[in-house]
Amino acid sequence: MEISDELKAIDESLVKQLNQIAKEKIEYWDIRAEINKGTSIDFTDQKSKAISSFEVIDCGIRTFKNGGWGFSVLKDLNRESIKLGFQKAIKLACLSESLSKLKFKINPTDPIIEKFKNNQKKKLEEIDIEDKINLVKEHEKIASDYSSYVKNTHTIYLDGHSQYLFLNSFGSNVFQDLSFLRLFCMVFTQKNGIVENSLNSVAGIGGYEIVETEKAINLSTKSAEEAVALLNAKSPIGGKFTIIADSKLTGTIIHEAFGHACEADHVLNNESILKDMIGETVASEEVNIIDDPTMGQGSQFNLPYELFGSYFIDDEGIPSQKTIIIENGILKNYIHSLETSSRMNVSPNGHGRASSSSDRPQVRMGFTFLEPKDWNLDEIFEDTKNGILCEDFKYGYTDPTTGNFQFKCKFSFRIQNGEKKEIMRDVSLSGMILEALNKISAIGDQKSFNYSVGICGKGGQGVRVCDGAPYIRLEDVTIGGQD
Amino acid sequence: MDNSDVYTLAKFCLNLIEHKNSEIKCTDLFFEKSKYINIEIEENSIKNNEIGEDNGVSIRVINKNGALGFAYTNVLNRKAIEKMCNNAIKMMKVGTPDSDFRDLPRVFNNYPVVKDLFDKNLKYLEIEESLNYVDALIKICADDEMAISQSGNFAADYSKTYIFNSNGLNALKKDTSCLISSNIIVKDKLSNDTSSGYERQVERSLKKIDSTKVANLALEDAKRNLNRKKIKSMKIPLLLTPKGTISLILRPIAAAVNAETFQYKRGFLVGKRGQMIGSKFLNIEDNGLIDGAPGSQIFDDEGVPCKNKKIIEMGKFLKSGLLYNSYTAGKDGVESSGNASRSSYSSIPSIGITNFIMKSGNIPYEEIIKDIKEGIMLDYTGDSVNLSTGDFSGLILRGNLINNGEISHPLNETMIGINVMDLFKKIDAVSKEHKVYGAFQAPYVRISSANIIGGAD
Repeated sequence: MEISDELKAIDESLVKQLNQIAKEKIEYWDIRAEINKGTSIDFTDQKSKAISSFEVIDCGIRTFKNGGWGFSVLKDLNRESIKLGFQKAIKLACLSESLSKLKFKINPTDPIIEKFKNNQKKKLEEIDIEDKINLVKEHEKIASDYSSYVKNTHTIYLDGHSQYLFLNSFGSNVFQDLSFLRLFCMVFTQKNGIVENSLNSVAGIGGYEIVETEKAINLSTKSAEEAVALLNAKSPIGGKFTIIADSKLTGTIIHEAFGHACEADHVLNNESILKDMIGETVASEEVNIIDDPTMGQGSQFNLPYELFGSYFIDDEGIPSQKTIIIENGILKNYIHSLETSSRMNVSPNGHGRASSSSDRPQVRMGFTFLEPKDWNLDEIFEDTKNGILCEDFKYGYTDPTTGNFQFKCKFSFRIQNGEKKEIMRDVSLSGMILEALNKISAIGDQKSFNYSVGICGKGGQGVRVCDGAPYIRLEDVTIGGQD
Repeated sequence: MDNSDVYTLAKFCLNLIEHKNSEIKCTDLFFEKSKYINIEIEENSIKNNEIGEDNGVSIRVINKNGALGFAYTNVLNRKAIEKMCNNAIKMMKVGTPDSDFRDLPRVFNNYPVVKDLFDKNLKYLEIEESLNYVDALIKICADDEMAISQSGNFAADYSKTYIFNSNGLNALKKDTSCLISSNIIVKDKLSNDTSSGYERQVERSLKKIDSTKVANLALEDAKRNLNRKKIKSMKIPLLLTPKGTISLILRPIAAAVNAETFQYKRGFLVGKRGQMIGSKFLNIEDNGLIDGAPGSQIFDDEGVPCKNKKIIEMGKFLKSGLLYNSYTAGKDGVESSGNASRSSYSSIPSIGITNFIMKSGNIPYEEIIKDIKEGIMLDYTGDSVNLSTGDFSGLILRGNLINNGEISHPLNETMIGINVMDLFKKIDAVSKEHKVYGAFQAPYVRISSANIIGGAD
């Protein structure tokens, strides 16, 4: 692996000096340094709005003493700057410690000395910018030509490559060479004064092969098709209904309404409805929820690349691993950072993640999913007399302290006598998460299992995530409507 | 690095571009240097002290056909900057022609005078001095019997922005800002119910920060939200708190009067310029020139002077009520309104608000609520209005029932459904009192009726 010269400045001799400076002053430190390069292409209505290129350096130095953290952020990798930043960070940790009423230690973890690199079947840096532009132009043209109702198209291509170094006082030294790509297609349609839109994206860790899968090739068609179909949608009538949720919507509900409540920092700060619930039954017996961000899962979905939410190692030097959150309806584990696992006296499980080296790691999900069971999709429909089929999502939100959630579906269909009827727009469903997990009356099989990708926001930081689920049926869900 | 370094680099850069490619029509450079302090509390205790800096530069190059290339870096030396310039030109060359592009802003001889946007106390603030602000938060939570936890932070930053363009524009500004936030969790020991309350304050100068007040408001908010109950579906009046007004009136209007949204015919206000869109109580302006206000600016992120713009007057959406950057203004053949906005040096200018204000009325809040026999007070919803259609159907995350003119129990599983165009027309009272939340300023607003979908059977 070719390591760039800037990162080479952070070597063994520097680490020795840092350990000398830190000696007896603090109990833990880590340094993250990364060099990011990338391209973005932004087209609207078949015209380029911005084509850009970037190169940035980030470095974050974190220090810890008896319950107090210090953090110093630099934008260069000069040895002297790092030493100075390190000294400042030590002062900050000592200051935090002197004021903090909450005392705890960080439990040592095994040092990891390793280099990781993800596969790129088609290396991003070897793809000419003109090819990337032609790809975007093509998607724009497909969407524009789809129907006379299409009024605007918007396509964004983003790729990035990072060289990332992690060092800590436990002796870890991890170098990673990572690349990712995202492609978004958004289509706006208009008919008789009604404006609709649909957005779809593909994203993964890998190379240019990410935009060459069937799903990626059909991306603009899918957005156009959906935005046109929505023009004929009716507004829903509010009330309580049985709903069938597709895998994308279910995955998002699992992530937003339940997953965040399993983040141990929320638990420790009394902000989670799942506080003191380990070992308790929190869902119906059929429910198994897992977070598994390990690499190598793309093939499960026939992808020639890695899932967007996967990683080799988290941003605190803990390898990614499979964690069982709910087993047969019983809450088994929270997800942890180094701090929360130390404080709750359990092993860390690799969920300390940051959006960049300029940000402090937080407890974050990776690939969170509901395990499939045995309902065939046709069976679920046949068994559902009347209700609403809710597909995909626009957005959702949850109050973590109460568990009250609301989700906006991208589109929905009325189900009458087990058959899919007319399309509805802006259907929102809401409820209390623990009640909802007990109202699951059917969980689909492996065939209906799918995943979705996104950037999850928390405390001003965004990290790559995936969620997954089969189709499910939920009873007695409140649906919002206008009249 | 100091000012002279930036000027030297800028000159080097503009010179380089000028001689590189004869196709180039214009160029601009955006330098930003900032430093910040952040103190975080978790579990009502100081947890993290942080300091950091960010310095970076971006360049836009546009050729004679209007094709645009953009590049940025945070490595501020000649080698990295030369690479950035070359990359921007490479990007420009593969861009498509854009006949709507006119020009970058010309030179302005006079910038407005707006006071108190820079506080030297913040520029030189040390983290040790900042601790008092979080101590005050911690005390409020510790002294209250029902409060069980608090998270929050104090942050301060100082930034310098330099804008240069090939028309000769050369502008420099210094800004400071600081923020205090509090999220308090309370527990009712009898019912075991928990809830949370949130409040924040953003200021340009340190002396205006009032941590005690912020924590007390978060605490009140949390207590008001304890022991929530479901209600039945009904059609009743709605009282928006200032936070509610921001979500349901100011944010959707700010997005809808963005000239780009308008030019793509996307927003719910398209085709309504010059028309009555609300009751006489709907008065909105975007004013970048208020002394000391969080959203005030001398010039926008392309170097165009900021202004005070009337947007909606007595319910009428003014023909001149759009927010422009230089590109969208050129496309419409008007002057930029000074609303170019970049999230940082790493983004090209889009369009943003300065201080976006709904004008207060002359009735005290108490009188407005007194007249509501049965209604809903909406403070916070995690939801937002559908900008294409103006439809809103959202969950009330913080809100209460109003009974005989008084605030009654908080609400669980309660949703509101309304189209904002209908909501604007149903505004029948606006309070004298108003609150400032960052770039938004909003009063209490009463809506004569709204559709409430309750979770009770």
